[in-house]
Amino acid sequence: MNQKTKKQIQEFTFILPAIIMFAVFVAYPFLQGFPISFTKWDGMSPNKVFVGLDNYLRIFQDVNVINATKNTLIFTALTMVFSNLLGLLFALMIARVSKLNNVLRTCIFMPYCLSLVLSSYIWRYVYSDVFYDIFGIPSPLGSTTWVMLGLAVISVWRDAGYCMVVYIAAIQGVSSDYYEAADLEGATALQKFRHITFPMIAPAVTANFTLLLAWGMKVFDYPMAATGGGPGRSSETVAMLIYNNLFTYFRAGYGQAIAVVFTIAIFVVSTVVSRTLRAREVEI
Amino acid sequence: MTRGMKKYLFLVMKILVTLLVISPFYIAIIYSVKSKPEMVSNRLAFPAKFHWDNFTRAIETSNFGLAMKNSLVTTVWAVLIITLICTMAAYIIARKNNRFYNTIYYIFVGAMIIPFQSIMTPLYIDMSRWKLLNTLHGFVMAKIGFQIAFTVLLVSGFVKSIPRELEEAAAIDGAGLYSVFFRIVFPLMKPIILTSVVLNTLNVWNDFQMSLTLLQKKTVRNVPLTQYFFFGENSIELGLAFALFILSMIPILILYLTLQKYIIGGITSGAVKG
Repeated sequence: MNQKTKKQIQEFTFILPAIIMFAVFVAYPFLQGFPISFTKWDGMSPNKVFVGLDNYLRIFQDVNVINATKNTLIFTALTMVFSNLLGLLFALMIARVSKLNNVLRTCIFMPYCLSLVLSSYIWRYVYSDVFYDIFGIPSPLGSTTWVMLGLAVISVWRDAGYCMVVYIAAIQGVSSDYYEAADLEGATALQKFRHITFPMIAPAVTANFTLLLAWGMKVFDYPMAATGGGPGRSSETVAMLIYNNLFTYFRAGYGQAIAVVFTIAIFVVSTVVSRTLRAREVEI
Repeated sequence: MTRGMKKYLFLVMKILVTLLVISPFYIAIIYSVKSKPEMVSNRLAFPAKFHWDNFTRAIETSNFGLAMKNSLVTTVWAVLIITLICTMAAYIIARKNNRFYNTIYYIFVGAMIIPFQSIMTPLYIDMSRWKLLNTLHGFVMAKIGFQIAFTVLLVSGFVKSIPRELEEAAAIDGAGLYSVFFRIVFPLMKPIILTSVVLNTLNVWNDFQMSLTLLQKKTVRNVPLTQYFFFGENSIELGLAFALFILSMIPILILYLTLQKYIIGGITSGAVKG
């Protein structure tokens, strides 16, 4: 074996373990999903019945799919907008480096360390014992109209700190020369934000929106732990619906077809959103 | 209003806002040390007496010791292996700019989008066929596989910022690829390694979805699953449930407070470049 091949093999051994683990536990199951999605199958029995595109055609008429899609989109829109908005406000509030601001930043980020399950349980009691007992506001988790908002609040509480951290870093990266020049011109705080800070942190805005979008569309833990999808099916999300198709209704084939469409949808939506945001970055 | 007063008001507002954000922690803490009668009479008040009994009883009734052990074992193994194989992979990807490694890089970029649901059913069936279902090592392997794309991308971004001169000098001196990596590059990667350790620890420790699918026997339940099922059974004994919550938060909050510098550094570098 010559020296060059030997070196290439040695290089390849660096990436081989990662490739193996990725191939076996992600890529292989991912590809297996496609044939399953064309079958009628309970997930256990050895016989899968090939049904062609039936599962896919059913998806678009299934009221449960439409309901879950609607719930997921409402949740995604709310968390995407409000986690970013609050994150940005927090960041503007404490971006300046000081001892106190560091402590505040540590505190505001803390919810992000909790599991989504734990956050959901704690908030069930925030809603029932604080919102209702003190302010007389009934828990949104018990209402078919407000349940998605209730879940979104939990998510915003947990993720706003994450957005804040990204924004703080972006704000601190803006050169102070710009602000000094603006001060000389007599610019107001709002003008400075609109014309300096915001355009300069646009890449962070794109990153946060894209991430929150992906998290939102995949949401599973919050409804599973906080409401179990209820009341009724008013907080069942797409991710939950797929899970239920396998483990509750034993319709693995149909669930997999939903999963395939779901994956494509996530891919398309995140590509479109991140492209649009990137294009806007240039404009402002 | 004078300038000084404005500044003072802003300071007060900042602190109030932060207290509001962390107030749910207050509820969790006081509920965990309240006795049953006090929970009924005045829930939100500061506890008259700390009722530590909740903690011991929660541990006894919920198999919490086992859950903690399962979570610790799976998290430590998964994070160690992820860190080792992903830093190696990221190093080669960042340094070798040929077609093969670039293709793998883009496969990982695409894989970031894959939702767990799309592999859930096939993975569940494969795992049961491979005798890995309801085993801790099976869960560790699947978790590693799922975290690879994200970690490799995170680390390779950092490797590109490390100058090559040291490696080249070592290579001229006759050091092999492995010794260059472990003696020179690995130590230089310390900040991003710590970031990836923290983010992956949070991810594995807090995982619920994959655990719910792959760990369905009582003996292999981790902390989030134990909480999920315990809460279902004991929603009346609030003190116990919250004692369990507090216990499960402690390791992760200690990790966060000691390594927070790296979390913040990593999130920002990953997010803005990513």
